[in-house]
Amino acid sequence: MFHRTLGRIAIALGLFIGSAPTDAGAQRTFHYPEDTRPASLLPFFAEDMSAVRMVELIFDSLVFQNKRGDVDKGLATSWKVDDDQGGIRFVLREGVKWHDGEPFTAEDVVFTIRAAQDPKTIFNAKSKTNFIRDVTAEGQYGVYIAFERPVPEAEKRFISLKIIPKHGFAGTAISRKDKFAREPIGTGPFRLKKGGFSLRSIALEQNPDYWNQAKTGEVQMQHTPDKSAQINLLQYSGVKAGVQAVIFLPPKNIALFENSDSVVLEPYHTVSWWYMAYNHASKALAEQPVRQAIGLAIDREELLEAHLGRGDILTGPFTESSPFYNFQVEKSTVDVERANQLLEDAGWKKKGDVRMKGKLKLDLEFVMDKELASNQALFLGIQAQLKRIGVTTRPTYVDHARYRDQVFTRRKFDLTLNIWSFEEVEDVYPLFHSKGPMNFIGYNNADVDTLLDTAKATKDYKKYKEMMKQLHGLLAQDLPYYFLWSLDIYSGISKKVRNVYIQPFYYFTSFPEWELSP
Amino acid sequence: MNRLLGLALLAGRRLAGGLLLLVGASFLIYFTIRSAPGDAIDAITPMGTPPEVKEKLAADFGLDQPPLAGYVTWLGRSATGDFGESLVFAPGEQVMTIARPAFKLTLLVSGGALVLCLLLATGLAVALGEPSPRQQLLTGVLYFVTAAPAFVAAIFFSQGMNALVRRFVEDAGHDTPPWYPIPIYSESVMPYFFAGLVLVAGDGLFMDMLNTVRAEILAVRNAQFIAAIRAKGASTLPHTFLNLVVPFVSAFAARLPVVLGGVVIVEYVFTLDGAGYLLLEASKQRDFPVVVGLSVLFTLAIIVMNLLADVVRAAVDPREVARNG
Repeated sequence: MFHRTLGRIAIALGLFIGSAPTDAGAQRTFHYPEDTRPASLLPFFAEDMSAVRMVELIFDSLVFQNKRGDVDKGLATSWKVDDDQGGIRFVLREGVKWHDGEPFTAEDVVFTIRAAQDPKTIFNAKSKTNFIRDVTAEGQYGVYIAFERPVPEAEKRFISLKIIPKHGFAGTAISRKDKFAREPIGTGPFRLKKGGFSLRSIALEQNPDYWNQAKTGEVQMQHTPDKSAQINLLQYSGVKAGVQAVIFLPPKNIALFENSDSVVLEPYHTVSWWYMAYNHASKALAEQPVRQAIGLAIDREELLEAHLGRGDILTGPFTESSPFYNFQVEKSTVDVERANQLLEDAGWKKKGDVRMKGKLKLDLEFVMDKELASNQALFLGIQAQLKRIGVTTRPTYVDHARYRDQVFTRRKFDLTLNIWSFEEVEDVYPLFHSKGPMNFIGYNNADVDTLLDTAKATKDYKKYKEMMKQLHGLLAQDLPYYFLWSLDIYSGISKKVRNVYIQPFYYFTSFPEWELSP
Repeated sequence: MNRLLGLALLAGRRLAGGLLLLVGASFLIYFTIRSAPGDAIDAITPMGTPPEVKEKLAADFGLDQPPLAGYVTWLGRSATGDFGESLVFAPGEQVMTIARPAFKLTLLVSGGALVLCLLLATGLAVALGEPSPRQQLLTGVLYFVTAAPAFVAAIFFSQGMNALVRRFVEDAGHDTPPWYPIPIYSESVMPYFFAGLVLVAGDGLFMDMLNTVRAEILAVRNAQFIAAIRAKGASTLPHTFLNLVVPFVSAFAARLPVVLGGVVIVEYVFTLDGAGYLLLEASKQRDFPVVVGLSVLFTLAIIVMNLLADVVRAAVDPREVARNG
């Protein structure tokens, strides 16, 4: 009786405030939270993962990577790479329309590549189209793309290139400030709803003209930076209420859904790995024995299990699923005695708690990004483990913008923890070549440079693979970073969602197949 | 006539002071943000971006001027209502296009929370009457309940509300309200109402207001002139009301900054499209035109509120005009 009365009051409250939507369309809305808010839906400037996922729903590429990992037909229905790997010819899908009703043609592909290469279009992944020398339309539905140099597996390079409409822009010089970033026009399975781009949410609706009609009516993304709020929403997941997916479940929350009636844990493999970077500008850390000793003192298994959950310990800059992974490289295990011996032999003598060599002290500044939630716990673990070999560490926690400035731009740090994520091509040249644009540690090894330069110039993919394996071995010895682990990543997905397949990087590639059951 | 002139002079003086304060605050905010390590260009360019590319971008975003020159340009433009464009949060969008609607919502939630708080506190103060030992238990409990920080109250509130709706609405087979579960994004006004409730119940605001209001009510009720009016057999209500307007308006104006501070976090917890959320996000991304624009709006709201409070005080109590010359 009491429950019934309370129920009535609650319903009355619900009516007063506007009862739940009951129409079929609303029931088919796929709702998910994101940690960050996409600042731009213009594919060139979709630089954070939340934007990458949204763009995957709105835009198409010429080709995409299917569930088996093969290159499949997107806006192109067939392609042929020249015998000398010097160019590629695409035949485009006919009858495709942009979200505003304009027809899609070869001119749009030509425009996209020219815009990406225009010096006035400035974006992070600009170098990805450097291999293209020229692009020509061959009629309405044919495109020929000539390369600067022979490119092995060239079609793969077009997976990440989202095609944008020529008629959406005044010219090929595209600014971040273009309103297209908030009012995108794509050819993808979903289009922006009218007024759908708001301060903290983005609402999409099905593209009725799409060649692979989506099974979900609408998609709603909401920016929910607080992870516990995301978990809370997932706990109430259903079709009418809650969210249908949490993209990344923190390891500590996985157990919460292991035997859940409403949520399934969906593993997906991102090509990303964790590392502890040494600043090679530091005199102490420029010495290989010091880096090796630090590595030998750190118990990665213990840290991983205690703070992050499941994953694979790394031996170099590639994950075990990578074609470049070198299985010959042995995993190092903790050996405090050997670590101490290495430091002794290198002239680092213990004075009190800390080792010294002349006036140099093994007292290191450990700079961390506050946004990486597990950093604090990991640091405390590492700090305690390094103390055993006479290496002391001082933590500096900074916000993300300051971290980028201090570590990547000004390089004021000794040690730092971070993660690298890769798309379909794992290119480590920028990280470890002495002239690499992302070599923020100041690493300089002539053998590594030669190997990377030779690999870059090779036309033969098999040779390239061998060279990457060799690089794996070389870096495992020289340790520019201490390679930590790659994590087993889980999404939490409502059991009401069927046919789920999560693409490792773009996440929503197969979303048109996902189905919401009532 | 003299009184009106005095009022106008007082308002003019306060307005001029407010404008100076606004310029000073915007100067401080502009410099603090511009001098913070890591700028908007760093936030949108990858590691290893050549300096000449960064320079081009900086020019495109108007960040190529040194801070002082940049501030002077900004001040000139903002005087005409042009607060510039967002750099990172919504690149190219006019600051006020995104800030104004967000700020209106925030002001509505904060103002609504303060009005609700004042009404509840007044109601309770009147109901409690003269202090007695028995009331101490009640006020003690209220102190305890309302002492939690607003963001903690928000978390407890949302968890409790979700559990209630699941138990008594969803499990009973009824349609759930659009705002359920909190903090789902919806166009319902209820999350704003909930945020207002949490602001009243958190950060000790309610008890602070209750104490102030109660002391003022008791002081007026026990004043000699009220006893005299009562002895004459006239109604004390208009006199009591007029004498309470000044302290009530002061209490309201003094607490607005506190509530505007609390709303920033509460909006985050309830997933609201407000200025607090926008301010936090823009600060994280070093989107300084948005941060400066919003901060100016926050400062302006407080200045306007204090100005109104001064004018109301002066209008009700002529001594205020005399005191302030």
